[in-house]
Amino acid sequence: MTRRWLPVAVAAAALAAVPWLGSETLVQYGINAILLATLAQGWNIIGGFTGYPSFGNSVFYGLGTYGTAIAMAQYHLPFGVGLAVGAVLGAACAVVFGLPILRLRGPYFAIATLGLSAVMSAIIANVEIAGKNIGLILPLFRGDLLFYELSLGLLVLATATVAWVSRSRFGAGLVAIRENEDAAQVMGIDTTRWKVMALTLSAVFSALAGGIHAYWITFIDPASAFDSTLNVKMVIMTVFGGPGTVLGPVVGAFLLSAISEVLASNVSTVAGAFYGLVIVLAVVFIPRGLMDVSSGFRRMGWRYFADNVRRHRL
Amino acid sequence: MRRIPTLLLATAMSLPAPALAQNKAVTLGAALQLTGALANTGRYYRDGYQIAVDRINAKGGVAVNGTRRPLALRLLDNQSDVNLGVRQYVQLLSQDKVDFLLGPFSSNDALDDSSVAEKYQVPMVQGGGASGQIFARGYKYIFGTLPPAGDYFQSTVKMLKHLSPAPKTAALVSADDAFDVAVAKGTRKICAANGLEIVVDKQYPEHNAEFSSILSLIKSKDPDVILWSGHEPQALNFLRQAKTLGVSPRLMYSFTVGVPTADFRKALGKDAEYAFGMTPWLPSADLKDDWFGDGAAFAKEFQERFGYQPDYHAASAVADVETFAKAIEAAGTLDRAKVREAIARVDFRSIYGQVKFEQNGQISMPQTVVQIQDGQVVPIFGDDFAHKPRYPLPAWSKR
Amino acid sequence: MGIPDPAPAVLLLGQILVNGVLLGGLYGLMALGMGLVWGVLNIVNLAHGSLIMLGGYCVYFLYTGAGIDPFAALPLAMAAMFCFGYALQRFLLSLIIRSAMLNTLLITFGLDVMLTFLAQLAFSADLRTINPPYAGDNFDVLGVTIPVAPLAAFAVAVLLAAALSAVLARTRTGRAIRATAQNLTAARLHGVNPRRIYALTFGAGAALAGAAGGLYGMVSQITPYVGVTLTAKSFVIAILGGLDRPLGVVVGGVALGVAEAATALYLDPTYTNVISFGLLVVLLVARPAQLFERA
Repeated sequence: MTRRWLPVAVAAAALAAVPWLGSETLVQYGINAILLATLAQGWNIIGGFTGYPSFGNSVFYGLGTYGTAIAMAQYHLPFGVGLAVGAVLGAACAVVFGLPILRLRGPYFAIATLGLSAVMSAIIANVEIAGKNIGLILPLFRGDLLFYELSLGLLVLATATVAWVSRSRFGAGLVAIRENEDAAQVMGIDTTRWKVMALTLSAVFSALAGGIHAYWITFIDPASAFDSTLNVKMVIMTVFGGPGTVLGPVVGAFLLSAISEVLASNVSTVAGAFYGLVIVLAVVFIPRGLMDVSSGFRRMGWRYFADNVRRHRL
Repeated sequence: MRRIPTLLLATAMSLPAPALAQNKAVTLGAALQLTGALANTGRYYRDGYQIAVDRINAKGGVAVNGTRRPLALRLLDNQSDVNLGVRQYVQLLSQDKVDFLLGPFSSNDALDDSSVAEKYQVPMVQGGGASGQIFARGYKYIFGTLPPAGDYFQSTVKMLKHLSPAPKTAALVSADDAFDVAVAKGTRKICAANGLEIVVDKQYPEHNAEFSSILSLIKSKDPDVILWSGHEPQALNFLRQAKTLGVSPRLMYSFTVGVPTADFRKALGKDAEYAFGMTPWLPSADLKDDWFGDGAAFAKEFQERFGYQPDYHAASAVADVETFAKAIEAAGTLDRAKVREAIARVDFRSIYGQVKFEQNGQISMPQTVVQIQDGQVVPIFGDDFAHKPRYPLPAWSKR
Repeated sequence: MGIPDPAPAVLLLGQILVNGVLLGGLYGLMALGMGLVWGVLNIVNLAHGSLIMLGGYCVYFLYTGAGIDPFAALPLAMAAMFCFGYALQRFLLSLIIRSAMLNTLLITFGLDVMLTFLAQLAFSADLRTINPPYAGDNFDVLGVTIPVAPLAAFAVAVLLAAALSAVLARTRTGRAIRATAQNLTAARLHGVNPRRIYALTFGAGAALAGAAGGLYGMVSQITPYVGVTLTAKSFVIAILGGLDRPLGVVVGGVALGVAEAATALYLDPTYTNVISFGLLVVLLVARPAQLFERA
């Protein structure tokens, strides 16, 4: 087992050294990519393992953002406290709304979570203490190193959690729910409780990522905090990398971020279109994610891609 | 005229005078809305920056401590995504190593991006954010060439007092983003100070397209005047829906955006007539400038080169570039702290007007009241009447 | 006139109702195509708003370029969008139709990004309005103003919904579509060519979106970016109305239109999104049984 984790540990150490080895721009992109990877991992728990495709993780992210921002900007509390407030808000939301919404299946669950995100954004835009639609300004902190290492730490924590989930009874239960929820229930798994737990875990990571992002970027408003395209990005990155795997979301997030940032900084005007094209091609040719490509390639070589199409077309 | 909006073409188009070419350029960087929801206005900044840089280079560039150096532009497309814009500004500084920063459009973007300027202590002169929030944080490295949002309706209300019949009641309709909330706050004070009673005071969500309820409410209250604040697409919707619902104030209506802008007038056609607006800038020959000659010549050159008329966004962009040129020459160095000091002290005339920044970094300029008459933007009132306004507003059925 | 003027509050309410209903009809039309595609093909089309937008541009160019009256241009735009949708389904979407539902969401998202970008490239971000001379007309009924263009849009919406309903219920193709939606294998056994049916259905959905776009351009404006909010609205209405039940979708649209108009007046315009999406969430949670049959 140590052999498998060694390359991962080396990679993590290399990432941690980036602020000293790489440029400032790289640190910027790094923070962004790492936060996205954390979000993807969070989504992985509820979407990848449990099979409930949430389009509302942006709610938890947004609540984390606002929890931290309100604590710091309105009450002048320290960053750590702010993060904790955000995490608690996210978790509470997951429990309160998770119970009714997790009764829905498949696309209806997705739509309900999307609706939840939109509602929350609209509510916050009317709340005085949250600065309404104008948003909030946080104190300025000149220390990207802190944000970088903190984000990396969060990602490592999230990945470790997913690794634990993948080996635990809890995780096996989640997979059982994904494959056949009714059968799982019959077998005695308390599906409601476990689904809510998965959602809450997912929410905590999303909220913490949101809190870090808020302090890093110093200005938040409802549109950017509850951004639904962010949610779509999380989903795409996880699916691209491999849902239900441990490293898939991280790989997917880093790769897609890199592509998107390189495009945005060099060919910036066509960046958007290329990104869309990459997504379309990925869904057609690697629908089970990048992690599956290596094993699929070993089995079938180049025919793997054509086979994917054959299997999923009409 | 089709323009391929790639960076390469833009850079190729900035042709420095032959003697300058060998000297190292002073680079100005910005992340702009070239695509996305705000691209409509973002392009005014792209083209404004470009024409200013080219014009300054054609006249010998910028003198830095004896050497004349050309200006160069490095523009990135933030796809109207505020968060991407922030990362791009960091890239501009740390990777592309630009010397100074120009701003994006919109107060929200300026708010975020100026934090980067402050963090890295690089002066940013932006012409796209008017909200007081930008300048209320005690930042030293951010300057703005758009006048404060709260004062936008000042000259309009002043003008109303001179008109006959003088209006007594007003409807205030504003969006809920930073800029428009600031406008509404300021406008309430202005109305109170001038005896104009606000009978409808409604705020709508920034990107909302539906005004039928607000319009129906306005119809039932029958105000003399409508004061409207928001973004251009919404202004368009408001006017069109006002027409279809037959809602019209008794005397006049005024918008914070749209009126000075060509495609707004084009999209509305005849329905744009009689609308009042405001602009800190008009293409006037009275606005003399060291590089362009005067405001009218600038407008002509802009129109010929880019195929559409400039408005105050473009002029503001030009002022930003000229500010750097003046400040760098005054400081005699590219040292950022020294240039920052020089910017704080500039006081020069330009095609945009007199450029001078207040203590907090924002310019102070009066808005000229304008009105759309026969499809043209006609200046009506600054300190007194420049032209006769078409007043009062005839009902829709009578136009 | 012998009828006394009703109280101002009643008049205002009446006006709000009229506004809401007329706008709601157009909303319903927007959602019609999405619901059809979702119900029959199980594709949740995140690019639906882009199809509306493209239809809007079609009518815009037919009107400003060739001088064709917008209402007359609608069938032309619908035909163009039908072909586009047919091709899209036949050559791209059919490739992923049997993979997880989530993948259809993702691929249509990618498509949406591309279509929006291409539209910006082709048409620029300029605001476009479809402004025929009668666009601003209105007439009074008992003190309530009825605007002509939204009224006509409402009529078109109801007409198209009724037509779709009739096609689905009475024609051979319609029955084939419904059969394919219910049980693909059985339909195949009865000689239905699913490739053709699926492409036809998606094409029809695109055509309906196109018509909605043309009408939208008359009451609002067209830019490459109008698609996103319209997709979101269509979601809400499609679910409210029951996906591939056309008349239900229009009723759902009307309900939403009235709810939004009332909220804007009696609460505050800034709460309209809370109401529309809140309604969606509440509905989904409170009535799962009806929706489970389709899961």
